[in-house]
Amino acid sequence: MYVSDFRYHRPETLDEALRLLEASPDGVLLAGGTDLLVDLKQGKRSHQDVISLTRIQNLNAISVEQDRLLIGTAVTHNQLIHSPLIRAHCRVIAEAAETIATEQIRNTATVGGNLCTAASCADTAPILIALGAEIEIVSRQGQRTLRLADFFVDHRKTALETGEILRRIIVPIPPQGTGAAYQKFGLRQAANIAVASVAAMVRVADGMCEDACFVMGAVAPTPRVSAGAAGLVVGRPISQLSEGSPLWKQVGRAVADDAEPIDDIRGSGEFRREITATLARRALTMALGRVRE
Amino acid sequence: MKQILDLTVNGRPYEVAVRPGAMLLDVLRDELQLTGTKRGCELGDCGACTVLVDGRAVNSCLMLALEAQGRQVTTVEGVASGNGLHPIQQALVEAGAIQCGFCTPGMVVRAKALVDANPQPTDDEIRAALSGNLCRCTGYAKIIEAVKSAALYLQAKQPAKLQFATQRSAAHLSIVGKRLPKPDAPAKATGRATYTDDIALPNMIYGKLLLSPVPHANIKSIDTSKAEALAGVHVVMTGADVPDLTYGTSPARYDENVLAKDKVRYVGDVVAAVAAVDEETCYKALSLIDVEYEELPAVFDAHSAMKEGAPRLFDQKYENNINTRVDHHFGDVEKGFAEADYVREATFVGNRAYQNPIEPHCAIAEWDTHGKVTLYTSTQVVHYVHHQLSRVLGMPLGNIRVIMHHTGGGFGSKAATNPLEIISILLSKKAGRPVKMRFSRAEMYLYGRGRHKQHIELKIGVKKDGTITAVKHKAVLEGGAYSSFGVVTVYYAGSMIPTLYKIPNYKYDGYRVNTNLPPCGAMRGHGCPHPRFAFESLLSMIAEDIGMDPIDIRLKNAMEPETRTCNDLDIHSCEFKACLEQVREASGWDKKKGKLPPGRGIGIGCGGFVSGAGYPIYRSQFPHSNAMIKIEEDGSKAVLFTGEADIGQGSNTVLAQMAAEAMGITLDRVDVVSADSDTTPLGFGAYSSRVTLMGGNAAKMAGEEVKKQVLHAAAKLLEIPEEKLDARANQVFAKDQPEKSIPWNEAATAFFAENGPLVGKGHYSPPKGLGGKYKGAAVGTSPAYSFSAAVCEVEVDMETGKVKVLNFWDAHDCGTAINPLAVEGQVQGAVVMGLSETLLENEVFDSSGTIVNADLHNYLMATSMDSPIIDCSLVDSYEPEGPFGAKEVGEGATLPVLGAIANAVADAVGVRIQDLPITPEKVLNGLKSRGPTLAANSGQGTHGRSRVSSTPAS
Repeated sequence: MYVSDFRYHRPETLDEALRLLEASPDGVLLAGGTDLLVDLKQGKRSHQDVISLTRIQNLNAISVEQDRLLIGTAVTHNQLIHSPLIRAHCRVIAEAAETIATEQIRNTATVGGNLCTAASCADTAPILIALGAEIEIVSRQGQRTLRLADFFVDHRKTALETGEILRRIIVPIPPQGTGAAYQKFGLRQAANIAVASVAAMVRVADGMCEDACFVMGAVAPTPRVSAGAAGLVVGRPISQLSEGSPLWKQVGRAVADDAEPIDDIRGSGEFRREITATLARRALTMALGRVRE
Repeated sequence: MKQILDLTVNGRPYEVAVRPGAMLLDVLRDELQLTGTKRGCELGDCGACTVLVDGRAVNSCLMLALEAQGRQVTTVEGVASGNGLHPIQQALVEAGAIQCGFCTPGMVVRAKALVDANPQPTDDEIRAALSGNLCRCTGYAKIIEAVKSAALYLQAKQPAKLQFATQRSAAHLSIVGKRLPKPDAPAKATGRATYTDDIALPNMIYGKLLLSPVPHANIKSIDTSKAEALAGVHVVMTGADVPDLTYGTSPARYDENVLAKDKVRYVGDVVAAVAAVDEETCYKALSLIDVEYEELPAVFDAHSAMKEGAPRLFDQKYENNINTRVDHHFGDVEKGFAEADYVREATFVGNRAYQNPIEPHCAIAEWDTHGKVTLYTSTQVVHYVHHQLSRVLGMPLGNIRVIMHHTGGGFGSKAATNPLEIISILLSKKAGRPVKMRFSRAEMYLYGRGRHKQHIELKIGVKKDGTITAVKHKAVLEGGAYSSFGVVTVYYAGSMIPTLYKIPNYKYDGYRVNTNLPPCGAMRGHGCPHPRFAFESLLSMIAEDIGMDPIDIRLKNAMEPETRTCNDLDIHSCEFKACLEQVREASGWDKKKGKLPPGRGIGIGCGGFVSGAGYPIYRSQFPHSNAMIKIEEDGSKAVLFTGEADIGQGSNTVLAQMAAEAMGITLDRVDVVSADSDTTPLGFGAYSSRVTLMGGNAAKMAGEEVKKQVLHAAAKLLEIPEEKLDARANQVFAKDQPEKSIPWNEAATAFFAENGPLVGKGHYSPPKGLGGKYKGAAVGTSPAYSFSAAVCEVEVDMETGKVKVLNFWDAHDCGTAINPLAVEGQVQGAVVMGLSETLLENEVFDSSGTIVNADLHNYLMATSMDSPIIDCSLVDSYEPEGPFGAKEVGEGATLPVLGAIANAVADAVGVRIQDLPITPEKVLNGLKSRGPTLAANSGQGTHGRSRVSSTPAS
């Protein structure tokens, strides 16, 4: 196991990073490195230039601007977990981050890295999508904003184009009446890769569900929004969604129906589908329990 | 092109030139010689390489060294200052939380970050915090306890004192039977303990192996010219350059080539080797070797391999790929089943578990100018490596020195000679320089020698009152490409079944079958855990069928002392019934069985094991264990020389305790030199749970010989006849007038002054003629047998099928526990390893026989969060053949675990899983099909002589 030679760059500004990226034929960005270095060590890929993002000011910052949370791409999972701003405005993001890997990995791995690796089992993606997050992408040519839901193209493939850097994630601070939850199923009690996961967001006013979003992880090539489930919930009184109710069960089934799971070492597709239904129902109940109108 | 890195490590600034691709781990170990930080998996999964960067715990194997520019790094060497210990280190030492010690530096660093950030962590917070640091030895229990104690200490509070009752058989002893921390633990806690990979010899180069990418092929040609031309390459070697002699583990089945001669038999088979200036160059050179393979049909499962016309791995031997066939029949099973009131049979399937010690195998060879070679290696069995090297290299034992430093766990994976050991010697000879070779985690799996997957058909007949009348057992073991330990494994799988319960009639059919997969070998409990899982499951199924309590049916049939089993094994001490009663009481069984809420269940499993194999692996005339003790001329210290290997189980400590007790001195006056073929006398090493009994008997005998001489000298000084003297706690005294005494060291000094060196020697051979006369009767023989019972309580998520093990209550008859703290550590470690095997572990191969989870990311092992609360108790027992009454614990403690969990799951949700591992998916499928399907599978059995069969539920 060895890493083949490359040139290492440690830019201090985003501009410099973009210039380096443009200048390199196959430059790769390094944030936490916990995915990239595994690939390099296993010889799954090699690059001539590795461009580190860890010393660029503001890329590892979390801030609030008006009603939006701004999360820098190089923010580590443990930063999310311990951030007072995240805890105050959107604690569920911290909860999702807590389910990722181990303390050591969470101290190194970044939210931008997690999204850009674009593994279908990424733990930050479903909840951020459910909360309506957008991402800001920059390049030498300029900047664009994309819904995170549109960022994932396929397993390990994103909408990021050559020369682009994901700069930050923009999360609308959930308004009053919102509840959200993330449910993940792994095979052991810690350090889990998701076998299936579901994030749920519901917005309630006057006892009616105004908005909802269910996002699955690890059961499709990309994190996937279940349109069917949201359709079942929106416009319905939440009294019909209590645990064990027919509609509650239907929601679980609807999410599972939208899954496209594969068989792998962690479980069969059929099992994943089954678990997805359970996780969806649990996430719904938990999200509803968190609604404070 | 190296770049300059500035960083601060343990408070000292460094400026180092590093390769951009170098990880922080490599720089710490190789450039700064801070070898306390360990290389475990190199992919961020095990945590052995944990360091603090700016106070935060990170895996140094997954951080580019250049990313540490300007950072403050703390390694285990910087946690305490000088020769002192940090409270965390001190607590780990005192709690007995350090076994092999390979995970310890990472644990220490991680725990420090925890208590720095959270000075009063709860148990759950500690568990969660440590879940990124895998430990294969301890079961985490004592580590969690130690971190808690350390946190209390740091807040100037006292941890609660533990209540411990000394066993009756140790009541009169002063060092044996005491819960004593291990003398080598502080070195492991501070990162000072040297493992093989921590050694760097002057002028040393590195070696790597080319492994077959195809499962079965003839080698048409190998072209090494491009590799040889690569700058930095010293030697390239193929099958043409190595001895023709095959080697292996069992003499009857030496079937492995040092490097493939003309054929490869699995993905991972050893094809060629390279030595070069560094590993990076080795890998580059390996990629330049052109091998032309002519692929052959391959076979990956045992049942297909046994069929007529299946591809054969060996043309000339092993008909139908059946590597070993066992056909045993004791008593008359047909008669036994005819006498039964109830008969039930079922099939069970095991899993391919891998030992996964946290330390990867490593070997370093160095030749001198006299044609002698020294091999440093991470092994359990210095002697067998020594013996095998002598055979393969055609050199006398005296020209080969094998040294084991600290070994970071083994569990059977390091119990035989491996390719690194032979090839490093060959490469080193040719290069004229020391050569270091080590396995990566993935290469460990490919070398294999993990647990054989067994396909078991088991049938048990009982009387109405639960008395067993007959047992019929068939096992097909998937062996992989080579024999390894497999001959012994397939015998063990059958021979140990009649040792736990009284079985009057027993038939065993065993098949060990070659397949084109990595060879299987001996893993903790060697061959026995799967059959024991099957037996314990079926016995509980039968108990339920006939309306009997599962513990009662075990008590009814439990083995008793001084019994000869139906297969001619002699049981002496046996407190199995006491173990059963103990766990029934401790677990609150009678209040819980059948009375827990849905999803919650309780189950029992039992086990037992040999205390050392009765016969060596190859025919040898020598005592199995030997010891020498040398006393310093001023009597201030005894050095015990033993060939046994302390791979973390604590054998150096318990052997020193026994020697100290025998000599009449305290433990602090005994040092141990072990596992070095030049300086220590022959010892067969750490396998078959043999060291405490056999090594202990030798150490005790050597100690007694020393004491006799000391008493002789003291008799003159005290003018009291020596038969009236005794020694204890560094004093020699008159037995009837204890006030008449002199210090032990004075008597020892006087002896030396008059007679020259004060030395003692001891040896141990098992009793002659153990076992019956039938073929294979030797396997399963032992001077003594351990017994254990365990109750497990689980919670099953009814909607996902996920099992959480909440509690384990274990009682073990290990005779006199030489060091109860170490015994608890063995039990806790065995419980968690067993739990991990039962619920999580399984090697998976793709359709071309390539393992797909050869890492610690996809091959899951239990973390601290998976570890249940474990209650261990010892029962009073005394084994006459054991030193101070002792027998084994290390492997026997694994055996009850699998069945206990399966039985608890069945109790919780009514789903009987008969194939391992017990995954959520299997449980959930079982839950879904509960009802009519389940009734057919594992519902009511049949009475009288008719048969009922159960097949795995999934």
